Amino acid sequence: MKRLSISAAAVAVFTLALGLVLQPWNRTEASTPSKRVSVTGEIMDTWCYVSGVMGAAEATLGSAHHTCAIWCAAGGIPVGLLGDDGQVYMVLQLEGKGTAGGDPSFLDLQSETVKAEGEVYERDGLTYLVVEKILTNEGIAATHEDYGLIPPFAIPKAEKARIQGAE
Amino acid sequence: MDIKPIATGVVLAIGLMFGGVAQAEESKAKSWNLAGEQKTVLSGKVVDILCELTGDCPANCGDGSRQLGILEANNRLTLAAKNGQANFAGAVADLLPYCGKQVDVDGLMLGETTRLYQVQFIRESGQTDWAKANTFSKAWAAKFPDDAKKKGPWFRKDSRVTALIERDGWLGLGHQADKEFLEWWE
Repeated sequence: MKRLSISAAAVAVFTLALGLVLQPWNRTEASTPSKRVSVTGEIMDTWCYVSGVMGAAEATLGSAHHTCAIWCAAGGIPVGLLGDDGQVYMVLQLEGKGTAGGDPSFLDLQSETVKAEGEVYERDGLTYLVVEKILTNEGIAATHEDYGLIPPFAIPKAEKARIQGAE
Repeated sequence: MDIKPIATGVVLAIGLMFGGVAQAEESKAKSWNLAGEQKTVLSGKVVDILCELTGDCPANCGDGSRQLGILEANNRLTLAAKNGQANFAGAVADLLPYCGKQVDVDGLMLGETTRLYQVQFIRESGQTDWAKANTFSKAWAAKFPDDAKKKGPWFRKDSRVTALIERDGWLGLGHQADKEFLEWWE
């Protein structure tokens, strides 16, 4: 009887451990069916926005961060769409083209506020968007008056001098 | 009293409870002092994220055009957003040679709400030596040999980038906006 209760205790400990392991932070989600959406927001650089590497997330949007957004998209860093609702959509495909190859057509869309139509997929904490069509484009929001140039070295010294007419 | 069953249970419990922590302790990733940063080793298959979600699966994980990630044995899918280089480079060039293969990756999981992964090291499963995830610049130079001949880092001489700046200016708002901004800001 004693041996039985000890074995039962061991099983209980094991079950408890298994329960802890299967807590939400370890649990995976199955891929969900897609949902048709129409989203309005800025085509943006997910790395700088999420990581804080350039400082405040807001400073990585609009004209202040435009050149850096083009660099990151050309470098194959995932392009995002920051929805008006604050949701970061990871854009996997834009009008039939993958977003890792730096295709000029979506480099051209960096920092622009667009209305996009497509399919959304939720998987393991990220929201992915396959953009089928850009419906409208409102252009780039002027954020440089608030944040300056992010990163400050984006415009080379010689180029600054040329723009200001010193060379 | 036979304590073997209890001992076995406790050992199993501790092993299972701290499995994830042990994984973090093994990481050799360098800190970048990023938001929500957590050193993380992952083991799984290199996959095309779009293929995993939609079933649309071109050869060789899209051959560099698609975002890649790691699919672990427990079916958890992690997007690899960045490699180990500090030059605006993603992770696709580093992961693509391993498309469909089982790998270990070492790097940083980061972000507060949206969580992204930075790959710093990669190796095929079963190997002991890690390779640095820093192959973007070489892959870029091979893809754009004419641009690569120019001076400076890749992002200063990439003709896709320079064409846009030449057309729209550094702020994307036209050359007059650049001039007015610099007069005020400098």
